[in-house]
Amino acid sequence: MASTSETITEQPTTEVVRPKKQVRTRIEYRRFNVFHRWMHFLVFCSFTVLVFTGMPLKYKDTAWAQWFMDLFGGVTAAGVYHRIAAIVTVFYWTAEMLVMVIMVLKARGKLKSRIPLFFNGKDLQDVIGMFAWFFGRGPKPQFDRYTYWEKFDYLSLVAGTVIIGMTGFMMWFPLEFTKVLPGYWLNVALVIHSNEALLAMGVIFIFVHFFSAHLKPESFPLDKVIFTGSLPVDHYKAERPLEYARRVREGTLDEVLIERRITWKTYAADVVWWTITLIAGVSALMMTAFIIWSVFD
Amino acid sequence: MTRLRLMPLLLVALCAAAFGFAGTAAATPATATNALNAPTNDECFKCHGSADVKGETIDVKGVQKTIYVDRAIYEQSRHGKLACTSCHLGFTSGPHDAEQTQNWLATAKIGACRECHADVFEMYRGSFHGNLVFGESSGEAPVCADCHEAHNIMPPESQEFRAQIDTLCANCHADALETYLDSYHGKAFYLGEIQTAVCTDCHGGHRILAPSDPNSSVNEANLIQTCGECHPGANDNFVQFMVHVNPKSPSSSFLVWTFYMAYVLLIAVVFTFGFVHSGLYIYRGFKDGLYKRNHH
Ligand code: HEC
Ligand code: HEC
Ligand code: HEC
Ligand code: HEC
Ligand code: HEC
Ligand code: HEC
Ligand code: HEC
Ligand code: HEM
Repeated sequence: MASTSETITEQPTTEVVRPKKQVRTRIEYRRFNVFHRWMHFLVFCSFTVLVFTGMPLKYKDTAWAQWFMDLFGGVTAAGVYHRIAAIVTVFYWTAEMLVMVIMVLKARGKLKSRIPLFFNGKDLQDVIGMFAWFFGRGPKPQFDRYTYWEKFDYLSLVAGTVIIGMTGFMMWFPLEFTKVLPGYWLNVALVIHSNEALLAMGVIFIFVHFFSAHLKPESFPLDKVIFTGSLPVDHYKAERPLEYARRVREGTLDEVLIERRITWKTYAADVVWWTITLIAGVSALMMTAFIIWSVFD
Repeated sequence: MTRLRLMPLLLVALCAAAFGFAGTAAATPATATNALNAPTNDECFKCHGSADVKGETIDVKGVQKTIYVDRAIYEQSRHGKLACTSCHLGFTSGPHDAEQTQNWLATAKIGACRECHADVFEMYRGSFHGNLVFGESSGEAPVCADCHEAHNIMPPESQEFRAQIDTLCANCHADALETYLDSYHGKAFYLGEIQTAVCTDCHGGHRILAPSDPNSSVNEANLIQTCGECHPGANDNFVQFMVHVNPKSPSSSFLVWTFYMAYVLLIAVVFTFGFVHSGLYIYRGFKDGLYKRNHH
């Protein structure tokens, strides 16, 4: 640990001002590449459409359900949007899996250390450590590239998509499906699809976005990194000290350091990120509130 | 939105009704014989069509109903040209005597219909509901005019008629209605997609029979044909789909209930953990002053 913090202090200052060109630049740490960010964009769009066209069916008794269905132009039209978004889902899921397979093949044997999204022994220690910290019984655990809750979110989404996709396609093609299995599995499919959707919505809306991206102290009020791809080095160092130390140790830090030009565009983009977040946030909050309301109504 | 979509269909329905009158003329002779000295509709409307009687109510099986009959609605209905007395047999114009007002209801609601719609009546008579009405059992079952609004007979394929079919069965089959509304057909219907399957698409309007009856449209042996009307290619497997299943009850379907309960449990565990974890994280964040230190 001690040697790690020494290495950290040896790093150059992260903000460099170049008087000549009058362009301010900043050394940033690139957390998400273009592929990650496009992935997130596709998940974001398709998931929102799926939730908004699906939930009114699940909560058909509510006034908002009818309102949304009228907005989409009827149940059949909403079903068409639901299916288009489902195809997008299949597409991004396949792309992600291909990339993962390539990664696994490349890593050959050194799976645990190379694939940062898989659970490992440290995650269990971290869970215990975090609860100890919550109750003031120890320091906050230090994290590598992904925390255990981020791994959980990712892996549950990957697995959840398989479950929800399979049951969705069963209901989409009931005649084809029943060439294989008896029709009562379609009743099961609806129960699974419907509840898995609620589970996924809860995990994504509440725990990933409200919590991970906005509410937790490291991110408050908005963690833009999934949009911008990079964040100031010292901030990253504080948030993921182990990954930083690992990269320093392995000499791979340069691979992820970029020089970001800070121009008016940077600020304009910030406005865009805030706007997207605000709109998505308000709609997500609305849907969550609607559902909580109808469950307790 | 729905209203806009209905407009063209309404027009079609009206045209169909207009053409139907030709048919009415053919059917009237039966009534025409006793209609020679019977009062005309004009006479009945003199009192029953006047806005003055809107407030006047009579007791029909415990329900207060107005004796006002809207002439415009009546005349655009499928029965628009029918004499009032074809259903209200023996009624004369002027204050009605006790003989007229005593036993008119059963005649008007089913007895009269039988004269002109013999084929439908026979079908109905053989049905589960018909059995209840004509058999020993004193069960309360719907007769013709419970499903077809007395003075506003709509063509059964009209959108208006379809849109209210679930309410016809609702009072007496609350459980079946609820499970139907929990299935995809029911959800879609409830939210305005009335082309999807409604009760009478599967059960029929007049030949409703218990599922165990081999003649029933919902008997195992006939389901391929019943579902096949809208799902061409339905096979033995397909029709094992359960239209009326309550996931919350193990006796309805143990399989579906098991999955339902498993998910309820899973959702409860995940959401509880999530809330506790986030809540504590935020609490500790405040306590340690982490919110002040951040650079975003
Ligand atoms: C002079 C006005 C008048 C005329 C004309 C008239 N009715 Fe009535 N009708 C009434 C009134 C008032 C009642 C309700 C009080 C009662 O039970 O007599 C009534 C009641 C009824 C009822 C309900 C029976 C009940 O339980 O009270 C029917 C059915 C009915 N009329 C049919 C007809 C038909 C068919 C005609 C045309 C042949 C007709 N009426 C002509 C005044 C009239
Ligand atoms: C197709 C058969 C039919 C025809 C034709 C018909 N009625 Fe009726 N009428 C009924 C039935 C059935 C009821 C009982 C409805 C109910 O459940 O209250 C009824 C009830 C009534 C009542 C009592 C109030 C009520 O709503 O129960 C009045 C008054 C009445 N009819 C007047 C008329 C008049 C006037 C005409 C002609 C313009 C007419 N009816 C034509 C079938 C008919
Ligand atoms: C349980 C509700 C219900 C009852 C009771 C009922 N109907 Fe119907 N009726 C319907 C429905 C629904 C349709 C639409 C077509 C279908 O599904 O059979 C219909 C259609 C009709 C039609 C037009 C189509 C056809 O099959 O010729 C006539 C005429 C008719 N009914 C007359 C009657 C008569 C007469 C009675 C009483 C003997 C009666 N109905 C009882 C629900 C009912
Ligand atoms: C005097 C004969 C007569 C009586 C009584 C009668 N109807 Fe009709 N009904 C007709 C005629 C004629 C039509 C026109 C449609 C046709 O050609 O089938 C019709 C049409 C209908 C239709 C619409 C069918 C369609 O295809 O559009 C329904 C539903 C219906 N009647 C139900 C009833 C009910 C319910 C009763 C009893 C309350 C009743 N009718 C009593 C003669 C009668
Ligand atoms: C006025 C009340 C009433 C209405 C309205 C009514 N039913 Fe029924 N129905 C009954 C009664 C009573 C029974 C026999 C009791 C029982 O077994 O549940 C019955 C039996 C049945 C059965 C056979 C049930 C069995 O247990 O095997 C079916 C199917 C059915 N009804 C369908 C319908 C449909 C579809 C509608 C609407 C178009 C409808 N009913 C409207 C009262 C009603
Ligand atoms: C998609 C077709 C379909 C629709 C729509 C449908 N049913 Fe059924 N219904 C069935 C089948 C199949 C059965 C027999 C198997 C079963 O009991 O689940 C049945 C059984 C029933 C029974 C007997 C239940 C028992 O336990 O014996 C009743 C009552 C009934 N339905 C009423 C209704 C009513 C009321 C509606 C509309 C609100 C409706 N059904 C809509 C297909 C349908
Ligand atoms: C009046 C037409 C009609 C009838 C009759 C009908 N259906 Fe359907 N059904 C539909 C429509 C419309 C859809 C929606 C199709 C879509 O959007 O993919 C549907 C969808 C379905 C689905 C897929 C949705 C899901 O929840 O999985 C199943 C399964 C199904 N029907 C089963 C049945 C069975 C079993 C029967 C017979 C007991 C039946 N249907 C009778 C019209 C009908
Ligand atoms: C990935 C592929 C998916 C496919 C093929 C699919 C398909 C379907 C189909 C066919 C239905 C039946 C209703 C209709 O026809 O519109 C449905 C319902 C529904 N879907 Fe999906 N879906 C998918 C993903 C999702 C996702 C990711 C969510 C939300 C997180 C979701 C939420 C819902 C909900 C809430 C319902 C209504 C369930 C109910 O009636 O209780 N779906 N889906």
